[in-house]
Amino acid sequence: MKGILLIARVHLITAFRERVTLFWFLLFPMFLLVVLTLIFSGLGNGGSTNFSVAIVNMGPSTGGATDFAALVESVFDRAATPSEPGKEPLFSLVKPAPDEDKDAFIEREQKAVRLGNLAAVVVIPPDFNQQLMQSIAGTGAGDASVNKIVVYQDEANAGSQMATSIIKQIISGIDREILARTGKFDEQKDIPTDTIWIGNASGELPYVDFLLPGIILMGFFVTGLFGVPGAILFARDRQILRRYWVTPLTTPRYLAGFALGHVGLCVVQFFFLYILGRFAFGASVNFAQPAPILFLLLGSVTFLAFGFFIASLAKTPNAGMAIANILNMPMMFLGGLFFPVGGLPLVLRIIVFINPLTYLSDGLRMSLGVEAGTFSLPMTVGVPLAWILVCVLVASRRLKWDVER
Amino acid sequence: MRSFKALLHAELMTVLRDKATLVFTFIFPVLFILIFGFLMGGDTGAQTAHVGLVVSSGVSSEALEQVIADVGTLDVAHYADQTLLEDAMGDQKVDFGILWDGNKLSFIYDPGRVQDNYTFQELAQGIGAAFSLRYQDVSPVLSIDKIHIGKAAATDWFNLVVPGILAFSILSAGLFAISGHLTAMKERKLLDRLIVTPMRPVMLLAAIASIRLAIVYISTLLTLFIAIAVLHLTFPVNWFLYTVFVAAAAFGSMGFGTAIALLVRRPSSASNIANILSMVMMFLAGIYFPMEIMPSYMRMISKGLPLTYMAEAMRFATGVTDMSLARFWAITIGLVVSGLVLFPFLARYVVRADRN
Repeated sequence: MKGILLIARVHLITAFRERVTLFWFLLFPMFLLVVLTLIFSGLGNGGSTNFSVAIVNMGPSTGGATDFAALVESVFDRAATPSEPGKEPLFSLVKPAPDEDKDAFIEREQKAVRLGNLAAVVVIPPDFNQQLMQSIAGTGAGDASVNKIVVYQDEANAGSQMATSIIKQIISGIDREILARTGKFDEQKDIPTDTIWIGNASGELPYVDFLLPGIILMGFFVTGLFGVPGAILFARDRQILRRYWVTPLTTPRYLAGFALGHVGLCVVQFFFLYILGRFAFGASVNFAQPAPILFLLLGSVTFLAFGFFIASLAKTPNAGMAIANILNMPMMFLGGLFFPVGGLPLVLRIIVFINPLTYLSDGLRMSLGVEAGTFSLPMTVGVPLAWILVCVLVASRRLKWDVER
Repeated sequence: MRSFKALLHAELMTVLRDKATLVFTFIFPVLFILIFGFLMGGDTGAQTAHVGLVVSSGVSSEALEQVIADVGTLDVAHYADQTLLEDAMGDQKVDFGILWDGNKLSFIYDPGRVQDNYTFQELAQGIGAAFSLRYQDVSPVLSIDKIHIGKAAATDWFNLVVPGILAFSILSAGLFAISGHLTAMKERKLLDRLIVTPMRPVMLLAAIASIRLAIVYISTLLTLFIAIAVLHLTFPVNWFLYTVFVAAAAFGSMGFGTAIALLVRRPSSASNIANILSMVMMFLAGIYFPMEIMPSYMRMISKGLPLTYMAEAMRFATGVTDMSLARFWAITIGLVVSGLVLFPFLARYVVRADRN
């Protein structure tokens, strides 16, 4: 037992002494958690997203209740005011100077959109109030085709598209307000809407709760994929293993110690990522339940076996790292850790369906109640177990424990 | 000149024999394009969402379906009940669902689709608002007229991402080429042997740079053509600007790579630092996510990264976005100057005998 514990300790200490190991196993998953959470958790919530938008009213300001152009401008002004101190407003508005030629302003700001310096230009047409009044006063419903606020945007620019989409919602809200004010639309008869979340979810899932299990599994995956073949092949190449074999240490005991060290590394990884997710970003997923713990353990063991599988395929440490590098990206991104993987072409779907990460991430998220789950429980457990079996079989037949003489 | 030719030949053979470098230079950018392309919907059109509709028996859904059809980017599939709809959503056959019982509209989302739900909720909000008006036989009096004023060909999100990935692959190839290669030569004592010959260090650097430039250029072309063929994209490339920029960007990146080679001894450390730097830059340089959705301090970091400007200039050279020519040349010349300053200057300290 002492030998096993010593090997586990050696494995852990070696991993933590390597600065590069520390980066890839600990800092990179933490970096990814921070970056993706900061980017996506604020999406659509305001406070961190900011679009530069130009707005120009081409008509004269008439004032009064029928100055709808002024109403539109005021709504945009509100969107350009931070919702609370210290937060960013949704829009940074650019307006023409009082004596500036409006056509020249539009031309300049259109160029800014094309250059990517501005998300959109909103132009309220010169006869906007008049046309709108005519539409409202007309028989029956108004005619929206003549009351269009022009939005210049760049469809290739995702920021511009998002800003336009928000502008569309704002205009839709103003439309309802105008129709309600003029008695065309009865807000009392408005069709009620509600939101239902599938599965056990009671509300919208915070992004960090979705991401954290994926990042933890990614950490385990990277540890197995790079750490295991790295440690085994370098130890073999530098004849460290040979020295072990002249001691009373047997291969099974070495393996037990190595596996214990690997699981320990995963525990440390989990601890750091969980602390970061919980206390920096308010993650509320509860890992302290039997099912998530079993899935995490299954993940750790699956990638340990997978690491041995890689080690058994490579003759040198560099070859092992090359194989790991090649497998890393497709497996990571086609495992549903960060993006949904439905609707892929057949070739990529094959990778998705044979990828243990797909089942582990699905099972872990399902057990945490953050996802309804695509696969059945036996699949999410059975496929990783099958991988463990295949990897152990291949590794036990192919892996050489000493350098060839 | 003869020694230069010999060095060129040696470099070429080294690169061609180095399978790992070939895989990373040629296969990885293509993998990035394909994986992200299909994940983000590059093959089917990223803007189409699939909505599942459940209508209670005896209730008319004609107006609602008309409103959904008016959105223009939604495919509708009908389900007999909520359970079947939720199953389809669980299998990701449907993006979000709508229940209409004649009195109330319920929108159903999958909480696991956290990155997409923002878009689905926006679509649902638009459907709800339009249906409310139509239900009272009222038409909107106000709408927006979207006018695309960007480049004509660049109407797909992926048009923007592909040049970003090209810029990223140039950066990583440049960083790895010099840092990994020179430190590997150092470790194998090849530099010690070469510098006792009449070869001038600058010749070695020129040979490395020439071969790597050619490899990077071919790799970007291959990636671009595969993106065009597989994702059916159009790029009105300005080949002159493209060629000049790829050369400048690769050269500039080699300069940054030389700085890494100066800092470390082992090729594995150099590769790791290059890997770490390029990975960090990839996430912060606005290649996959628009910078507008990043917090302000991350936007500031992004503006300090060379990859941000490389991606910007590459988008211009591939005809995706506009840019003033002055800005394009400023970025290009900036990269050349970085290469000129860092590459030969620092390389003097890298290409020298290892006294240890």
